Amino acid sequence: MPSTDSSTPSDHSKPEIAEPRQVPRHAIAVLGNPNVGKTTLFNRIAGIRAKTSNFPGTTQEARVAHVQLPISIDEANTDAQAGIASLLIDLPGIYSLNLDLSESQVCRQVLDGSLAPAGETARVPDALLVVIDATNLMRNLSIVGESLSRRLPTIVAVNMIDAARRKGIHIDAAKLSECLGCKVVLCSARTGDGLDTLVEQLTSAKIPDRSAPTDQAGIERWAQSIYEQVSAGSTGNQDDSLTDRLDRAFTHPVLGLLSFVAIMTGLFWTIFKFAAYPMDWIDLWFGHAGNWVGAIMPAGPIHDLMVDGVIAGVGGTVIFLPQICLLFFMLALLEGTGYLARAAFVIDRALRPFGMSGHAFVPLLSSHACAIPGIMAARAIPDRRDRLATILVAPFMSCTARIPVYVLLTTILFPGEPMRQALAFTMCYVLGIAAGLFTSLLFRRTILRGKSRPMALELPSYRVPDLKSALLLTFDRGMVFLKKAGTMILAISIVLWWLGAYPHSDPTQASIDLRAQGDSIVQSTPEAEPSQQAQAFFDEADALDTRNAAKNSMLGRLGSAFQPVFAPLGYDRQLTVGVLASFAAREVFVSTMAVQVAGSDDVEDETVLGSIANATKDDGSPMFTPATSWSLLIFYVLASLCLPTLVVTAKEAGGWKWAMLQLGWMSLVAYAGALIAYQSVLIFGGA
Amino acid sequence: MIEAPSMSSQPAEPSAQPSAQIESKSIPMTQLMRGQTGRIDRTQSHPDECSMLRAMGLRPDASVQMCRLGEPCIVSLSGACRIGLAKDIASRVMVRIDD
Repeated sequence: MPSTDSSTPSDHSKPEIAEPRQVPRHAIAVLGNPNVGKTTLFNRIAGIRAKTSNFPGTTQEARVAHVQLPISIDEANTDAQAGIASLLIDLPGIYSLNLDLSESQVCRQVLDGSLAPAGETARVPDALLVVIDATNLMRNLSIVGESLSRRLPTIVAVNMIDAARRKGIHIDAAKLSECLGCKVVLCSARTGDGLDTLVEQLTSAKIPDRSAPTDQAGIERWAQSIYEQVSAGSTGNQDDSLTDRLDRAFTHPVLGLLSFVAIMTGLFWTIFKFAAYPMDWIDLWFGHAGNWVGAIMPAGPIHDLMVDGVIAGVGGTVIFLPQICLLFFMLALLEGTGYLARAAFVIDRALRPFGMSGHAFVPLLSSHACAIPGIMAARAIPDRRDRLATILVAPFMSCTARIPVYVLLTTILFPGEPMRQALAFTMCYVLGIAAGLFTSLLFRRTILRGKSRPMALELPSYRVPDLKSALLLTFDRGMVFLKKAGTMILAISIVLWWLGAYPHSDPTQASIDLRAQGDSIVQSTPEAEPSQQAQAFFDEADALDTRNAAKNSMLGRLGSAFQPVFAPLGYDRQLTVGVLASFAAREVFVSTMAVQVAGSDDVEDETVLGSIANATKDDGSPMFTPATSWSLLIFYVLASLCLPTLVVTAKEAGGWKWAMLQLGWMSLVAYAGALIAYQSVLIFGGA
Repeated sequence: MIEAPSMSSQPAEPSAQPSAQIESKSIPMTQLMRGQTGRIDRTQSHPDECSMLRAMGLRPDASVQMCRLGEPCIVSLSGACRIGLAKDIASRVMVRIDD
């Protein structure tokens, strides 16, 4: 066994907030082809301890978990109860270690010990777990052959053994182990069969005592020869008529497109239907929390900071957690069924006339979560012009950060009408996609002339999706979102509250007069309670002061300075502030509005969304008229409101000129779109 | 890296024949009929694309069955996995028809 405690300091490891955890003695890299159930297997072993981490300086992600692995029987004489602190790294799925692709390169670097996921120390792994598909043994043996050349302690997990048995395939594990010169475990990540044995063997992997050829043709012959020795039973063409029929339907020019639209509509409908309940609870909870904290804390700046800054800002963001979780959960389920690979070809046909290929499907689909991984995934697109077009188009896809804004505005536009809300929501997605297609078409005819590259993709078997994997992924994404809400959005909320609260303004003459009138009524009435009439004077004075303070604050002045630019789109001073704050990150809009509105909130028991929806302009008229809401909605669909995206675009496209082009083009399209929306609703909407 | 040119278990039988000799018999994959089976001869494409397809299992002498013609073209590889190919790529994969 190689030394297990060699930890060389690496440039990649950041001095993160140190969690008190044991330094892993044992690092195990998990390698395998795509679609072999590698991640399901990983999740089975690691469970909730796994988190998603990226490889610094690359576009690739890995699942990483710190686990205690049992000491194998041969070493069990020492403290057997403790187990070995181990680090499991689930590498990206690859067909070969030797391809000129980003994911293959990442795997090579991890195995060389020159790269580690963020937060971990780069080192040569102590063991390599190669996961292969029992139903496709011959091809999968190629990557095993490539792994053997690495001379690392290796163990091979032959996964999906249940599916292989159903197909009548028999695999001789002992013979396979003999041929490969390393331990082989037959298992099924889905049913849990053989996993206990696999986990027990993980810490006792040995350097294989056999080797494989190093050239591709040699490995292929080697794989075929082993395959013929160890595999028996049905190899030929099974009855795949159902798969055939489904494939033909899902990739059919008309039927395929219809089913795609139906599936996506169903997906979003489910998200809206079921996210509404937890969202209401969270909204109410934050409303109560604000009131409760407001009641127990003494009045003053800290009270205001907590209630109007922290609780309003974070509450306005956390409320979208249910939707984000549901979206990732549904997408994970959908991916688990095997449908998405078929959808890629439907999309390919749809994208080709606009100068993009189905290769753009994964980047564009990822962009619906966040443009950043989407743009990064574009690295896998082989053709440069295809890639650049995809990068420029990706931020038009409606990312999850837009969801808060969409929800807010569709709720304001269609209160209590879930069907219309869902329609408006779908329209936002369609509009984003349409703008993206138009952009691609334009750029492919001008600065990125040429045709897109055709596509080749493995179509995984149709399966019942793995619920546990989907739940784990959802948990992971939810935590990432909460972390963002707890850090960046919290910080921006506090800064905004501060900018909005200072400098303090003295009461205006008008409000002093109003209060004096109120006081005179109170003094003239003998009762202890001030009459309703007096209270009305006080309330009006308070409202005047709040408005005046908001207007004269730093934030108010900034809003006033920029408001003329956005006036044609129907935005007042406060909305201008919301839009300006969104240039850092668009989800900040809702928290910004919540923080701004919280300062002028007269009604005590309102929810976060309610108080934004009922917000008024400086002159007291409603802020969100239909025309303004539509204009804002379209602006947020189309505008480039995310600093990190621009940075990533510059990096991935190879220059700031691309990022500037993206920013300039998207701003132009967004401004024009919002202007058209505002003016048309004003003219035709009769509002 | 340890050089291991020879096989460790058993000598391999040379299964892939030199493609030049049977070139006349090979046809583009897209000319297979639905349900028909063929063996891959060679791929006429960019080297990067060739290695990618080969790693995916479309290697010389692999058995493919045509499942769907058109755009995309779907083939079953030895009954073990399915691969979808843009028509353009499929037309550049040459196959020999099984007798």
